[in-house]
Amino acid sequence: MKGAEFLVKALEHEGVELIFGYPGGAIMPVYDALLDSKIRHILVRHEQAAALAADGYARATGKVGVCMATSGPGATNLVTGIANAYMDSVPMVAITGQVSTALMGTDAFQEVDIFGITMPVVKHSFLAKTATELPRIVHEAFRIARSGRPGPVLIDLPKDIANTVAAYEFHDDTNEQIAEASAESIARAIALMRESSKPVVYAGGGIGMANALDEFRAFIATTRIPVVATLKGLGALPTTHELALGMMGMHGTKTANHAVQTCDLLVCVGARFDDRATGRLNAFAPNAKVIHLDVDRAEVSKLRRADVPVIGNLRYALKALACKLPNIEPWRRECTTAKETHTWDYDAPGTEVYAPSFLKSLSDRAGDDAIVACDVGQHQMWVAQHFHFNRPSQHLSSGGLGTMGFGLPAAIGAQLAFPSACVINVSGDGSIMMNLQELATLRRYDLPVKIVLFDNRALGMVRQWQELFHDKRYSEVDLSDNPDFCRVAESMGIPAFRVDDRAEVSSAIDRLLAEPGPVLAHVLIHQEANVWPIVGPGRSNSEMLHQHEVAREVTR
Amino acid sequence: MIKFTLQVRVKQSEGALVRILGVTRRRRFDLLHLTADTTEDGHFLDIQMTVQADRAENTLVRQIEKLEDVSQVEVVEPGDAVSEHRAARFTAC
Repeated sequence: MKGAEFLVKALEHEGVELIFGYPGGAIMPVYDALLDSKIRHILVRHEQAAALAADGYARATGKVGVCMATSGPGATNLVTGIANAYMDSVPMVAITGQVSTALMGTDAFQEVDIFGITMPVVKHSFLAKTATELPRIVHEAFRIARSGRPGPVLIDLPKDIANTVAAYEFHDDTNEQIAEASAESIARAIALMRESSKPVVYAGGGIGMANALDEFRAFIATTRIPVVATLKGLGALPTTHELALGMMGMHGTKTANHAVQTCDLLVCVGARFDDRATGRLNAFAPNAKVIHLDVDRAEVSKLRRADVPVIGNLRYALKALACKLPNIEPWRRECTTAKETHTWDYDAPGTEVYAPSFLKSLSDRAGDDAIVACDVGQHQMWVAQHFHFNRPSQHLSSGGLGTMGFGLPAAIGAQLAFPSACVINVSGDGSIMMNLQELATLRRYDLPVKIVLFDNRALGMVRQWQELFHDKRYSEVDLSDNPDFCRVAESMGIPAFRVDDRAEVSSAIDRLLAEPGPVLAHVLIHQEANVWPIVGPGRSNSEMLHQHEVAREVTR
Repeated sequence: MIKFTLQVRVKQSEGALVRILGVTRRRRFDLLHLTADTTEDGHFLDIQMTVQADRAENTLVRQIEKLEDVSQVEVVEPGDAVSEHRAARFTAC
């Protein structure tokens, strides 16, 4: 049996159903072995999309996503997708072909040190040096990718190792248990919670990743602490839950940011005090003590000192911390009243489509289980603000790395995982062009992804920042020469239609959701539409800018 | 600015030393001194490194200890007798 067959057999043993990839010279032995495997290979049209689709598959399912590419440019094209998974702690195994061991280090054709290049953005990496160690490497790679705080793992496979004939050695499954938080830390955390009269839970992506949704919701049901969410924590509580105050941070709700800025205790659950969430760090939650629950000890007190670190399995910790807190009733009422007072305003002047309103209607009609994969920019923030989520795995968004071009491949990964689910890719005219070639993948596999393309003929988020923070000095944000997106989609076999008046929104959503296959709605919006509210760069979350305030300053 | 010395034991694996030095640089710790040698059984690399930074020791310790192949990380205070003893042992290898 050859090394490549070892690899494929080991992948089968790990339960891999799908591999996203692109063939080439050095990885050819593996593609040969795949012909005899039950694993389904999805051919993308750019390796970056292979990594991002594997990422989307992993986020939607909680399983390890697998991507594969050849050596050299194939491998370097994976890097953005690997970094994307690393920043958002997504379990992934990336397999790269490598030139033969005798050629390594000689600048051979399509040789690149992918092991070295990816080192800062992987949880771990392996260079296969013998065929017999491949089953162990694959097993270890999957264990590392999904254990503790998940992340991407690279396996670099030289071609001669893939072609080496040897005897296959089977490796048994062993999964390590995540340590439970200490009894002492639990007791101290409960004492702080009981002392507090104004606590807030700061919910992050770790809750979904730890598969701790039930425990989290039980914890909230018992303690009745109001909850603010990070971008990746959205859906930890259903958006409509009375204690869900919405997203915090740069484009968060007034209610969420105000609650954090005035609370006396912040219970951080699986989050990492990212700058987009905290605003100016030394002004963040200035009156709060901090309890930090995380599986990754390195995140605790990295940016904000934790008064009580609770390190370990979130499921265990949340169960242990659930206690009644009768003192917080007035605070809870204050928060829920603020939430009811500060609702979104979906009225906007003009006849053009208003993206927040479009997304609210789409969310209301797409069903409770719709999965939304977005790209990066204004539309991404509008999705976070206006879509309703019942669980975090419905919201596929590139949070840490902010990768334009993530949405379409991620939607492909999610749709392949759940063929009958309603999967929507919300994109922008900037982002869609980053991985536009994947429309061909949609067609090839006939995946019924619904694409909503908001087009403001600009790089909207950058334009917004130049307007607000760079004295309207617009630099390289104009995209008024965009192609005709409907014709582009149609040329790749994807039906498409244009929406440029808000009176058409309702019928457009009907058409989008009724289409049995893939479809693209090209939605024109105002070029100067901005995301509100916003916390300016370097500002505290107490200093949110609202649309009416900015308009007043401009006219003054 | 604080200066301290770390003692790290890592499994001898592809890129082990580079991985630790990479984390050190990325987390903004400046390397001042480094010695490293393979243990007698050939399975591990023992590294002693002195770094300086504006950040707390634990920021680096926690990042290094979570690397897959690292089995031990210890802070050795500068000027500490243990540190000198270990430095001598390392450089003698």
